[in-house]
Amino acid sequence: MEKFSFKDVLILIAGLFITSIFAWSILRATGHIPSEIGKLFLKGAFGDKRNISNTLNAATPLILTALATVVAFRVGMFNIGVNGSMYVGALYAAWAGYRFTGLGHYAHVSLCLAISVTVGALWMLLPAVLRVYAGVSEIITTIMLNFVAVLFVSYMANGPFRADPIAPSTPRILETAELKQYFPNSQFHSGFFIAVFVSILFYFLLNKTTFGYELRSGGDGLVGNYPSRYSSYLGIPSNRSAIIGMLMSGGLGGLAGGVEVLGSVRNFYQELQFVQGFDGILIAIIGKLEPIGGMIAALGYGALKNGGLYVDYKTDVSREIVVILMSILIFFVSAQKIVRGLEKYEIVRRLESIFSRKIK
Amino acid sequence: MEWLEIFDISLFRSVLRNMTPIALIGFGAAMCSSAGVLNIGLEGKMLNAAFVGVATSFYTGSALIGFICGVSAGILTSILFGLLSFKLGADEVLAGLAINIFALAGTRYLLETLFQRRGFFSDPSIQGIDPIHFKFLEGSKFELIFSGYTPSVYFIFFLAVILYFVYYHTRLGTSIRATGENPEAAEDAGINTIRIKWFTVIFAGFLAGIAGTFLSLENMTLFTEGMSAGKGFIGLVASAFGNSTPLGTFGASAFFGLGDAIGIRLQGVYELDSRLVLMIPYALTVGILVLIGIRQRYKIRRVPIQNN
Repeated sequence: MEKFSFKDVLILIAGLFITSIFAWSILRATGHIPSEIGKLFLKGAFGDKRNISNTLNAATPLILTALATVVAFRVGMFNIGVNGSMYVGALYAAWAGYRFTGLGHYAHVSLCLAISVTVGALWMLLPAVLRVYAGVSEIITTIMLNFVAVLFVSYMANGPFRADPIAPSTPRILETAELKQYFPNSQFHSGFFIAVFVSILFYFLLNKTTFGYELRSGGDGLVGNYPSRYSSYLGIPSNRSAIIGMLMSGGLGGLAGGVEVLGSVRNFYQELQFVQGFDGILIAIIGKLEPIGGMIAALGYGALKNGGLYVDYKTDVSREIVVILMSILIFFVSAQKIVRGLEKYEIVRRLESIFSRKIK
Repeated sequence: MEWLEIFDISLFRSVLRNMTPIALIGFGAAMCSSAGVLNIGLEGKMLNAAFVGVATSFYTGSALIGFICGVSAGILTSILFGLLSFKLGADEVLAGLAINIFALAGTRYLLETLFQRRGFFSDPSIQGIDPIHFKFLEGSKFELIFSGYTPSVYFIFFLAVILYFVYYHTRLGTSIRATGENPEAAEDAGINTIRIKWFTVIFAGFLAGIAGTFLSLENMTLFTEGMSAGKGFIGLVASAFGNSTPLGTFGASAFFGLGDAIGIRLQGVYELDSRLVLMIPYALTVGILVLIGIRQRYKIRRVPIQNN
């Protein structure tokens, strides 16, 4: 894949501009005043300390799910099932959170997160094996497993793991398993730092190590599909990297769920809904399938999401507008021919060369 | 043998109703994958059609207008898909995913903005499409089996036959298969492969539109958030299980319909946990995917490995 280039930034800015025009006209058509809504939106996302910490809290699982998508797509596997991994990871983190007693804080948190990572990774084992050894499209398997995961966790919260006779939920996790929340009226918790740390770790792993190179050679690129001929010319077993990449991706999805439960929800109940796995796909694409790019995009999306919630709460504009605008943005970002068409223009080429020289 | 009692005429009727949307999507997906297009976005097309069908039927009070607008919504969404993937060079999978997410959020947004509802929308002024009763079957013992379904149920039988004919015995069918199997050779033979792909995508959108209006105007007359519930993907699996042929797809979707119907009936007989019953179609799909995998593995073993 090409590095983050000036063209991509240009496309992103153009896309953002066009999506804001869309937003403006949608709001106008439904009889709202766009500038008022925009002000509310900014206030909700960055207004004061509490709003900013809420934005960071919203971004925490998104950073991890985006990273999960990045890892899977970079090895050439279209993993749509991060959301499923997130659900099972969250469920088992909650289980480990109340099941194991008498541990220290760090030991208990590590144990819970390790369990959620393992469960999330195992959830992805079947699609990976089916794809690599039998050629079944991992896209459909993972999508189906998403549906299975939702019903499975809801069954578990209702049946085996149910503690509360009235509400279908697990017991609250023990205090030793809680990730620390820093502000009194915000759910912002130390899981954010775990997410950032893991992102940076994966940046080095993917881009700076031999192991990462072997992983990437399986399918490097936005549309690179496993199995790639490139990898077989290099003599790298792309089967192995595809399976490892899928398991890593599932593990990161599970970690996202675990962090969310230990940090902000603190028990698992039947109505708990996650969409971050799906948001993560959009974010990863906007972040150009780079761990750091994904992290920055996740922070931006967290702000959008939090601002959208605030607008939804204050006015009758639905929060879904954020997702609509994001998918329109994806339409632009994924349209490769627009990117290539830009090269026609002299000024773009010149700016591009200046920009890339500065980077080096 | 208590469990044998569930196999009766009402199970048969339930199978037909449950398999209809899957078969409609499956036929579209079969045509697309025969032409080498992986159409992930069918789910979103179906959802858009279901919503537009209900909304227009609510405003105009006419089931026919609702149906036409719903199907047009399905076609328009597939034109968007075609533009993105064939004109603007977006990856098919990404375009399809974006369309699915767009449809899910968009219908939810419109549901809240137009009708101020969350979750679902039902209203007595939504006109559904009525079932067809055959006059000449009245009173005979075939009435229970063949009469009283909504039009789409009959349409899938018709479609299976027509598509079988088109697929194997016309120039168009051959062109579609050639486009999927070997695009370069098809181009050399004078087939405009892009046009063929456009045709299959729009045709699949048309069928997805019918499937969507089947869900919201025929099977029930209401709209719920995400009411397509993965049927678009199950249809894709059905077409893969049926080797992308019309009759194979039909058989595979009948199998999925049977699984659904038995699950619903078992829930009544044994008081199973509803979540486990709801899981049946998806678990069945995963099971079928494993079977497809085993079949492909077997094929790979027999045929010498080619570098594609």
